[in-house]
Amino acid sequence: MSRKPSDAPWLDWVNVALLVLAGIIVMTPTAWMILSSFKPSHEVTAYPPTLVFSPTGENYATLTRQTPFLSYAVNSLIVTAGSTILGLLFGAPAAFVASWTRITWPAVVALMARMAPGTLFLLPWYVMFRQVDMIGSYWALILTHAVITLPIVIWVLLPYFDAIPRSIFEAAQVDGCSPFRIFRRIGLPLVSSGLAVSSILAFVFSWNFFLFALVLSNAQTKTLIAASFNFIGEGSTNWGGLMAAATIIALPPLILAIVVQRWLISGLTLGAVKG
Amino acid sequence: MRVENNQRRQMAMMSLPALVFTVSMIAFPFIYTIWMSFQTYSSTGQITGWGGGNYRRMIDDAQFWNGIWITFYLYALSLVMQLVLGTGLALLLFRAKRLPGILRSLFISPFLMPPVVAGMMWLVILDPSLGAANWILTSLGLPPSDWLASPMMVVPTLAIIDTWQWTPYVALIVLGGLQSLPPSVYEAAEIDGASRRAVFFRITLPLLLPTLVTAMVLRSVDLLRFFDLIYITTQGGPSNHSMTLNIYGFRQGFEFFQLGYASALMVTLSVMVLGAVIALNRLRAGVEW
Repeated sequence: MSRKPSDAPWLDWVNVALLVLAGIIVMTPTAWMILSSFKPSHEVTAYPPTLVFSPTGENYATLTRQTPFLSYAVNSLIVTAGSTILGLLFGAPAAFVASWTRITWPAVVALMARMAPGTLFLLPWYVMFRQVDMIGSYWALILTHAVITLPIVIWVLLPYFDAIPRSIFEAAQVDGCSPFRIFRRIGLPLVSSGLAVSSILAFVFSWNFFLFALVLSNAQTKTLIAASFNFIGEGSTNWGGLMAAATIIALPPLILAIVVQRWLISGLTLGAVKG
Repeated sequence: MRVENNQRRQMAMMSLPALVFTVSMIAFPFIYTIWMSFQTYSSTGQITGWGGGNYRRMIDDAQFWNGIWITFYLYALSLVMQLVLGTGLALLLFRAKRLPGILRSLFISPFLMPPVVAGMMWLVILDPSLGAANWILTSLGLPPSDWLASPMMVVPTLAIIDTWQWTPYVALIVLGGLQSLPPSVYEAAEIDGASRRAVFFRITLPLLLPTLVTAMVLRSVDLLRFFDLIYITTQGGPSNHSMTLNIYGFRQGFEFFQLGYASALMVTLSVMVLGAVIALNRLRAGVEW
């Protein structure tokens, strides 16, 4: 929509003002969470709420002292990193083959996994993992979280592979290059930005995922997000600690939102927007 | 020929890990759930019968129908708010043309944040007695609300939280649609002297419909399965007023260990999601240009 000559300049100001308002609405709750996490404990629940206070790290210190917060964080990292790597290892070659041979099952399966409610899978998994005594193990969590990461990797990478001119592959094939070599030496380097986007998205969504760890983790393997439930129980008296926990859990996704925002948008909308 | 076969084999080998994983972790469990939904289990987990018992039980279960109603109520309310506000935000962003990176970060931050964190955060903000939201309302002279603790307000409140989180996502999709609209149409409209309102309702909106339906599909899939935010804030309460089908199925399965019944509930929910996606895809085929 190119600007019409009849456009009044004040309309531009209204536009900017409305955007700023939208920005404030979007930002305020998150800012409130972060602010509250630095409030001294007697001020978090002060009513009316205070805006000016002397910030303290007390809530964070209490959190690490009173809960196994650090080991939850390590568990989260193990599960998130493990499932992201697994998703890439399985998903990248599958996406390459799917793009080359135009087979559709990987995309269909990815769609199925995205549409079905998590509990649908969790019920049989629970029975299966109980049978082999894997409930509470890291592997149960990594494997189930790979059900989130694998579809993301396939969905994000497919259009990247499709965009490579087929003549490049065919030329390599004529030169006697095997499909695996073509994938490793030509395909992967050409989709490196797709690999970055898909691993970041897989990481974020695996990190954020709540349901599987809620049921399949135990006291030793509990992830941060599954443990957040405990913080709420304690949080009824300790809002500062609750907000400190929430801030730390939200930190990795928020940092990625700031650092790599431009890249993520095309991947996040799953091809609905061409980046 | 031998080379060709060899290539085929290598390709098959490359997709094999994903295939094995898919079959064992997605396809087999999917079928297993359907199978379980036709089993009745005793309280100790022994299979006691086979047949449509779970589905018959569902039809007589008032809680099931309540779950369907809450699921659709929450779905419709959230979807409408997110589409309207998301389209509005997209139009603002489109007009602004240059979007500073910091603003883009700001707008993607809500939906990159875990829904569980959003729940924790809003629990504190919406606390009936000490929360900031009620303080703002009362300072403006408006009546305070019990928000998540109120049977009347709990679904609208959940919808508001989800709308806060996902409106920017809808806006980004719609913005992509706006950017792909052909400028020639607008030039023609300008030559014809069409009013601003006419341009929006007669040109922009119809051309944008396929994008809006895409956004609807993506949001529908998530909204019908709404789980994290409810479980962390209300777990279906107060007194079942936010007990969606998904939450009900989860609690039947993992709190009461009614595996057969929970499976039947989850199969039903999946069919509903699938039905919504198919219906919306039909709709998209109708509005494609």
